[in-house]
Amino acid sequence: MRDLVFAAINAALVKGARYADARIVDSREQKVSVSDGRVEAIESGESFGIGVRVIADGSWGFASSAAVTTEAAEQLGRQAVAIARASALVAGAPVNLADVGTFDTRWDGPCEVDPFAVSLEEKIALLLEADKAMHAEDAVKLTKSHMGFFRAHKCFGSSEGSYIEQTYTESGGGITAVAVAGGEVLTRSYPNSHGGNWLQGGYEVIRGFDLAGHAPRVAEEAAALLSAAPCPPGVTDLIIDGSQLGLQVHESIGHPTELDRVLGDEAAFAGTSFLGVRDLGQLRYGSEHVTVTADATVAGSIGSFGFDDEGVPAQRDHLITGGTLTGFLTSRESARAISRTSNGCMRADGWNRIPLIRMTTVSLEPGEWSLDDLIADTDDGLYVETNSSWSIDDKRLNFQFACEIGWEIKDGKRTRMVKNPNYTGITPKFWNSCDAVCSRDHWKVWGLPNCGKGEPMQVAHVAHGASPARFRGIQVGVGR
Amino acid sequence: MSRLTADQARQLAARVVALTQADAAEVVVVSADDSLTRFAENRIHQNVTETDTRISVRAVLGDRQGVASTNRLDEASLAGCCAAAVAAASAAPADPAFPGLPSPVPVQTPVRAAEAAAGFGPEQRAEVALGIVRQCSSRLIQAAGGVASTLQTVAIGNSLGVDVGMETTSVRATVLAQTDRAGSGWASFHGPDPTGLVADALGDEAATLARRSEYPADLEPGSYTVVLAPEAVADIVDFLGYLGFSARSFEEGRSFLSGNLEKRIMSELVTISDNACAPESFGLVFDYEGMPKRRVPLIENGVATGVVTDSYWAARTGRANTGHALPAPNAFGPMTLDLMMDAGETTLDELIGSVERGVYVTRFHYVNAEDPVPVTLTGMTRDGTFLIEDGELATPLKNQRFTQGAVAALNAVKGVTRDRAFFDVMLGSALVPGLLIDGWEFTGQTG
Repeated sequence: MRDLVFAAINAALVKGARYADARIVDSREQKVSVSDGRVEAIESGESFGIGVRVIADGSWGFASSAAVTTEAAEQLGRQAVAIARASALVAGAPVNLADVGTFDTRWDGPCEVDPFAVSLEEKIALLLEADKAMHAEDAVKLTKSHMGFFRAHKCFGSSEGSYIEQTYTESGGGITAVAVAGGEVLTRSYPNSHGGNWLQGGYEVIRGFDLAGHAPRVAEEAAALLSAAPCPPGVTDLIIDGSQLGLQVHESIGHPTELDRVLGDEAAFAGTSFLGVRDLGQLRYGSEHVTVTADATVAGSIGSFGFDDEGVPAQRDHLITGGTLTGFLTSRESARAISRTSNGCMRADGWNRIPLIRMTTVSLEPGEWSLDDLIADTDDGLYVETNSSWSIDDKRLNFQFACEIGWEIKDGKRTRMVKNPNYTGITPKFWNSCDAVCSRDHWKVWGLPNCGKGEPMQVAHVAHGASPARFRGIQVGVGR
Repeated sequence: MSRLTADQARQLAARVVALTQADAAEVVVVSADDSLTRFAENRIHQNVTETDTRISVRAVLGDRQGVASTNRLDEASLAGCCAAAVAAASAAPADPAFPGLPSPVPVQTPVRAAEAAAGFGPEQRAEVALGIVRQCSSRLIQAAGGVASTLQTVAIGNSLGVDVGMETTSVRATVLAQTDRAGSGWASFHGPDPTGLVADALGDEAATLARRSEYPADLEPGSYTVVLAPEAVADIVDFLGYLGFSARSFEEGRSFLSGNLEKRIMSELVTISDNACAPESFGLVFDYEGMPKRRVPLIENGVATGVVTDSYWAARTGRANTGHALPAPNAFGPMTLDLMMDAGETTLDELIGSVERGVYVTRFHYVNAEDPVPVTLTGMTRDGTFLIEDGELATPLKNQRFTQGAVAALNAVKGVTRDRAFFDVMLGSALVPGLLIDGWEFTGQTG
C-alpha cells in the first residue's frame, strides 16, 4: 500500500502540486436486522479505493477511484492537480497548512471478539430473542432489533513524509418498540434511538448491551405512552438524560465549534455558526458548570483514532472551560487561520471523500450530582429521555428537540409520564441556564454513527460523553 | 476505471447472477461519476471527483434471502460477494411471507443521459462558479454554493429474466448570498444537463434577495397566512412521502393515509402523484427490483387515493406492484422517489398580492418530524423570509421556527402556482409549485 500511496503523491508533485496526500481505505461492514419476528436484512458489504488530495496553484483538488493500481494512482495524482488548477480560476488567498510532525507508524483500535467471526446464526438468535420479548406487550405492534459492524483499514501518506496505517472495528445495535393505537404511534428505544449505541470494539459490545434483558421494559414503556398525557406547554426546569444531552452537545456545541463552519465553508449547505473567531476566550457560552472537551483518545469511543485523516495525532482539547469558549475543532488549514496548530479533527467517511472537520468525542464533563438528588432538588420540572426529533437553525442558535418519553417532577419526585415531550431554546441562553450536572457515575459515551455534513454528504462516526443535567426555565411542550 | 455504459452494466449484472450459487439471484449494478465544485467566501474551496462501480447481490434459497455488496470487480471478489450473499441466505430463518423475486415485466427506457452533462468538467464548473461569484462580489456580497454533476448507470438483472439498464445525468447548482447586514438570499438549479443553467442569473437572483432581506426584524410567534416558494413546499411533500405514502406505513397504521383512503384529507387544490415516467422527469423509470415505475395517484383534489408498493408489499397487501422498491435489503418498505404536485393557475406574485398580512418563505432549513401520523414538522425558515403587508413583501424577518402538521397545512391550501420547479430532496426529487396556506404556526425565531 505504501508504494501505491506514494505513487499517487509523487505523480501529483511532478505535475506541480505544492502538497499532496493520499489515502487508501479498505472497509467492510455487516448489518443484521429483525422486525416483528422476521429477519428483515442480512447484509454485508466492502469498499476499497484511493483518494488523492493536492494543493496546486494555491487551491485544493481531489480525485478518487475504486481502481487501486500504480497506474491508476498516478493518474489520480495528475487528475487532482488538474482539478486544483480549475479551482484556481476562482481563487482566494493561497491555501496554507499549519505545521505537523511526520510519522511513520500504525495504530489499532480495540477489539476483543472479532464480530465478523461470530456466526450469523448467533446474531440472529440474539435479535429474535429481544424481538420476541418486546412482542409480549400486546399494544406493541411494530418492533425492530438490529446490530451492525464496521471495520476500516486506512493507509495515509503525505508529501511531507508521513505514512500511517490504522485499523479499527466498530460495533453497535439497539431495539425499538412501537405502540400503535387510535391513530397514535409511540416509540421507545434502547440503548438509544436512531441506530442504537455504537462503540469501538468487537462482539463484546453487543453482548454488553443485553438487548433481550431490556426488551420488556422498552415494550412496557411504549405501551404505557399510549395512555400518557401529552406534554403540557409551559416554561419549566428541565432535566435531560445522558443520551439526549449527548445529542444536545452534538448539535449546539459540537457543530458550532467546527472552525470550517465558523469560517463560512459550509454556509450554503449545513450553515455557519453563531460563533466568530473573535469569541475565542471571550464568549460566555454556558454557566460555570459547563466544561466541554473534544477528545480523540477516549478508549472504546467511535470518535477515537490514532491520527486524523491529515496525519495529525489524536488529542484531547477543551472547547468550553467553566462556561467560556476556549477552543474550536480544527483542521490544518483552519487552525493556521487562527494562528494555532490543528487539534486533529479531520476525517473522511471513505476513500472517495475529502476529510472535513468532524467531532471526535465531544463531551460535557461530569459534575457531582446524583440523578436522584437532582430530581429531589427540583420542585417543579420535567425529566426527558431518548431523542425522537432534532432541528436547529443554520447558525446553531434556535433549536427544538423532541424526546420519546418524559415524566413530570413535582416536589422533588418523578411523577406522571408524558408523551411526545419537546423543548426549545437559544444555544448560549440554554447552556447558561445549566445549574447542575450529574457525576461520573452517570457519565457515559454515546456513539453517534450518522452525523451528516458536507457535500457530497459524508456520514461520520462521532461520540459524546454526557451525564444528566438540569436547565432552569426552559420552554417545553411547543406546539402541543 | 471508467463508468460503465448501460449495456456493460447489464452484462455485468447477468454475469454475477450466473455466478451466484442459489435458487435465485438478483444483482444491482450502480456505476457513477460524481463531481462537485464548492465555493464559499467568493472562492472555490473544494473540488472533487469520484468514479465508482458497486454491485449488490441478493441470493435466494427457498424463502430465505441474503445480500452482499462490493466495489471490487475482479473475478475472485465477485465470486466472494456472491458466496457471502449465499451464506447470509443460508443463515436466515425461513420467511414464508417472501414472495420470491419478481418476474420480468417490459420496461420502456427513454434516453435520459444528456450529452451536455458528460462534457461538464472542472473548468466548466469553475466557469459557472465564477459567474455566480462575480454577481455577488461586485456588490460586496459573499457567495457560497456548489456546482455538481452526476453521470450514473444503473442495471438490474435477476435469474428469472429481469434485465434492465439505464443511464441518467443530472446537474445541480446552488447559491447562498450573504451580506454584512444579515441579508441572505438563495437560488438553485436542478436539471438533466447544464442547459438552462445561467450563472449570472442565478447569482443575481440570490444577491438581489440577499440585499432585499437585510436588517431582519422580529415576528411574534403565532398563526399566520404563508406563501411558500416551491423549495419550501418540496420539504413538506418530501416528508409526506417518507412517512405516509408507503404501503408499509399504511398497513402498519403509521400513515396519515391509514383508514383514510377515498376520504378527503387535504384541500381540493392539492393533487400529488409519484411519476417517474413524466416527460419532465430525468431519473430511473424502473425500481431496484427492475420493475417499471408506475404513475401512482396519491392525493387527487384532496382525496387520498393510493400508496406505493414493491414486490413484497404488493404480495402482502394484494395490491399491484407500482415499482417503488429500494435496493435490497430494504427495511423502509417501498418509497416515493419522484413526487409531483400538480400546478395551479396563479403566480407567486399573485399569491403574495392576495395576502393582507402574512409571511413569505423562500425555503426551510433542517426540517424534522415530531409526530409521524399528522406529519408534525419543525424546522426553520432561511435565506429570505418576509412579512407580507397589503399584498406586498414588506419587512424582512429573522429566521422563524415553525411547528406545524403537514397534513393540516395541505388541508388549508388556498392557492397554488402554475410554475413548478424540481428539487433534490431526502428521497429522490420533487416537482412542486408554490402554495398559499392559512394558519401556519410559527413557534419561535432565531436569536
